Amino acid sequence: MMSQRSERRGIHLDQSELLCKKGCGYYGNTAWQGLCSKCWREENQRERQKQIQEDWALAERLQREEEEAYASRHQRAQSQPTITPFSKFEERKTKEKSSKVNTVTKFFTPSAKTPPKKDTTSFDTQSSPSPSSSSSRHPPADTDHATREFIDFLKPLKSGREIFKQCRAFTESMVYKRDMGADELSECVQDFYQNLSDRLQTQFKGSTEHVESVMDEVEKYMMTRLYKEVFCPETTDDEKKDLAIQKRIRALHWVTIEMLCVPVDEEIPEVSDSVVKAITDVIEMDSKRVPKDKLACITRCSKHIFNAIKISKKEAASADDFLPTLIYIVLKANPPRLQSNIQYITRFCNPSRLMTGEDGYYFTNLCCAVAFIEKLDGQSLNLSPEEFELYMSGQASPHWPQGAGASSPGSAALSQVHKRLDLLTGLGERQDRVIEKARQLESDLIDWTDEVEQKVQSVLESFPQETHNPTATTASGTTSAAASAIDSDNVENERLPPPLQPQVFAG
Amino acid sequence: MAAGGTGGNSNKTYSFKVVLLGEGCVGKTSLVLRYCENKFNDKHITTLQASFLTKKLNITGKRVNLAIWDTAGQERFHALGPIYYRDSNGAILVYDITDEDSFQKVKNWVKELRKMLGNEICLCIVGNKIDLDKDRHVSVEEAESYAESVGAKHYHTSAKLNKGIEELFLDLCKRMMETAQAEERLKGNGASQSASSRRGVQIVDDEPQATPAGGCCSSG
Ligand SMILES: Nc1nc2c(ncn2[C@@H]2O[C@H](COP(=O)(O)OP(=O)(O)OP(=O)(O)O)[C@@H](O)[C@H]2O)c(=O)[nH]1
Ligand SMILES: [Mg+2]
Ligand SMILES: [Zn+2]
Repeated sequence: MMSQRSERRGIHLDQSELLCKKGCGYYGNTAWQGLCSKCWREENQRERQKQIQEDWALAERLQREEEEAYASRHQRAQSQPTITPFSKFEERKTKEKSSKVNTVTKFFTPSAKTPPKKDTTSFDTQSSPSPSSSSSRHPPADTDHATREFIDFLKPLKSGREIFKQCRAFTESMVYKRDMGADELSECVQDFYQNLSDRLQTQFKGSTEHVESVMDEVEKYMMTRLYKEVFCPETTDDEKKDLAIQKRIRALHWVTIEMLCVPVDEEIPEVSDSVVKAITDVIEMDSKRVPKDKLACITRCSKHIFNAIKISKKEAASADDFLPTLIYIVLKANPPRLQSNIQYITRFCNPSRLMTGEDGYYFTNLCCAVAFIEKLDGQSLNLSPEEFELYMSGQASPHWPQGAGASSPGSAALSQVHKRLDLLTGLGERQDRVIEKARQLESDLIDWTDEVEQKVQSVLESFPQETHNPTATTASGTTSAAASAIDSDNVENERLPPPLQPQVFAG
Repeated sequence: MAAGGTGGNSNKTYSFKVVLLGEGCVGKTSLVLRYCENKFNDKHITTLQASFLTKKLNITGKRVNLAIWDTAGQERFHALGPIYYRDSNGAILVYDITDEDSFQKVKNWVKELRKMLGNEICLCIVGNKIDLDKDRHVSVEEAESYAESVGAKHYHTSAKLNKGIEELFLDLCKRMMETAQAEERLKGNGASQSASSRRGVQIVDDEPQATPAGGCCSSG
C-alpha cells in the first residue's frame, strides 16, 4: 500500500483512490490501511478480541498492584490504629490471612480474592506505592495518576477502602461490556453513580456537598479509565453525527452576528477578546477526558460570553442574550467532535450536576445551540427562504453588495455590509492615489538624476584634459596647498577634503 | 423525578430545577433578579448574568436548593423548549397583566408542558406588573379560573414594587417538596430500593450497614 503510494507520487489522485478499499462508499484513511473507520473496525474485530484478553490480564495485574498501593498508602495515613467495631469485623473477614500480620495490615489488605503472597509488600514503608507497580507496559501515565489521586483523596475517609474497591471492580467490569450499546453502558454507569451516592448519603448523614465531592472524584477516576472505551463508541453513530454537524457549520459560514441578533459589539477590544476566549474554551472541551472537566470548558466559555454581553449591553445577560451568542460562538468555533462530546457528557456525567447545577444550565444551552444549528432555516435568521437558499448554495453572500435585496428583513445586516464595502472602496481609492503619487515621485527622481548627470557631463566637457593627474602622490601633495588657496577666506574649513574642481589645480 | 433529591434521609437537601417561561418583556428576568438579588432595573449591575440563578432556602427545617433557569423566549427558539424544561420540577409561566397576548402564550405553554411532562411538574401562572393595574387587560377572574382548570396555581406579582414574589417561590417550593415526598412514598422506602430495582450493576455491600460510632467521615 505505502509503496504503491510512493510510486505514484506527483500524480493527481482521483476520487476513487481516496475511497475505502472495501468499496463501501465512505472515504478511506491511510491510518486504517485505506479502509474507512467502519470497515476497519470490522477487519480488526479478531485482533481486538486478542487485545481484550491482553487488557484483561493487564487489568488483573493492575488490580493487584492498586490493592497493594492502597494498602501501603493507607497504612501510612493511619499509623495510629483505632480498634472500632468495623475494623474488628474486617478482621474476622480476613481471618484466612496470615496470622502474623498486625491489625492495621489486616484491616487494609485485599480481600480473599487477591493472592495473599503479596502481603509482605504491604509493609513497604516507602512513599511510593509498591515497587512492582512501575513497569513499561502500564496504561498511560494520566490513568495511573488518576488512580493515585483517587486513593489520596479517599485516604481520610473511613469507607475509602470500600469505595475504591467498588469503583475499581466496576470500572474493570465495564471493559468487558464494550460491545454493549451506548445506552446500556450509560445506564450501568448511572446506576452505579446512583447506588453509590445513595449509600454515601446515608453514610454522610445527608451532607449533600460531601457526597457530591466524593462523587466528583469517583467520576474522575472511572471516566479517566473508561474514556477510550466509551467515548464515541463504535456501536453508535456518534461519529457520523460529528461529521454531519461539522459539515453543517461549515456550510453556515456566512451567518452574521446581525442575523442571529447577537448583542455583542466586537469592535470593543475587550469584547472581541472575550469572544476569542469563548471560542478557545469550547474547542478545548474535546481535549478533556472527564465529563466534569468537559463541562468546565463549557462553563468557562459561557462566562466569557456573559462578559462580552455585559460590556456591550451594560446589562446582565438574560437567556435571550446568551443563547444567540452561544450559537454564534459555536458557529465560529466549529468545535471538534461536538456530538460525541455532548453524548459522552449526557451518558456519563454525574446526573445531579447536569440536572440542577450551573454547569448543567450551560450544557443545556449548548444542546439547544446545536439543535438550533441543525434545524435552522431562513426564518430563524430573519431571511426569506430564497435568500437562505442562495447563501447556502454559495450563489450569493451577505458579504457582497446585492442592490436589489436591500429591502428584505435582512437589510439591516446588508446595509451594514454595504457601509463596510463603501469604506473599503474609499480605502482602495486612497491607495490608488498613493500609488499614483509614488509613481510621479519615482519618475521625478529619474528625471532629476538625468538632469544632474547631464550637468556634470557638460561641466566635464568644458574642462576636458586637465583632470588627469600624473601620479597619485603629486595629487595628494598639491591638494592641501590648493585647498588653502581657494578657501583662504575661510580658515575653519581647512580640514575639509580637497575640492574636486580641476580648474584650481590648473592655476 | 430524580432531581427531587436522593436517599430516604429525613435531613437531606432537596434540589429543584425551575424553568421560567413567558413572552418577551413580561418581566421574567426582573422577577428572578428581584427574588435572588433584590434588584430592579438596576443599571449599576454587579450581576454578570441573569439567566441562571440559585437560591438556598430552609423550609420547615428542610434544606432546599433552588436553581432557576431562564429560557430564551424568542419565537425562533420556541422549538428548543423541551430541551430546557426536561427534568424540571417546576415551571413559572409569566404574563404581563396589561398584555392579553402574553396570557395567550401562557396557555400554549401549559398545554405543551402537560403534554410533555404530565402532572409531575408544578405549574405556577404568574400575572406580573400588578402596579399597572389601571391598564389591566387580563381579568383576575379569568386568569384564576383558567389556572384552576389546568391544575396550576395563580399568583399576582410586581417586580417593580416587590409584591407577591417571596410568596410565589416559597409556595412553589412547598409544592415541589410535597411532590417529591409523595414520589418517595410511592417508590417504597427511599431511592436505594428504586436504584437496585433498576437493571444493571448491583453493588455488593460487603461492609456492615452499621457504621462505626464517631461519624463516617474524618476528612479535614
Ligand atoms: N411596571 C412594571 N414594570 C415591570 C415589572 N416587571 C418588569 N417590568 C419591566 O418590563 C420590562 C421587561 O422586563 P424583563 O424582566 O426584561 O422581561 P423578560 O420577560 O425577562 O423579557 P425577555 O428577556 O425579553 O424575555 C422592563 O422594562 C422592566 O422594567 C413590574 O412588575 N412592573
Ligand atoms: Mg429576560
Ligand atoms: Zn468501508
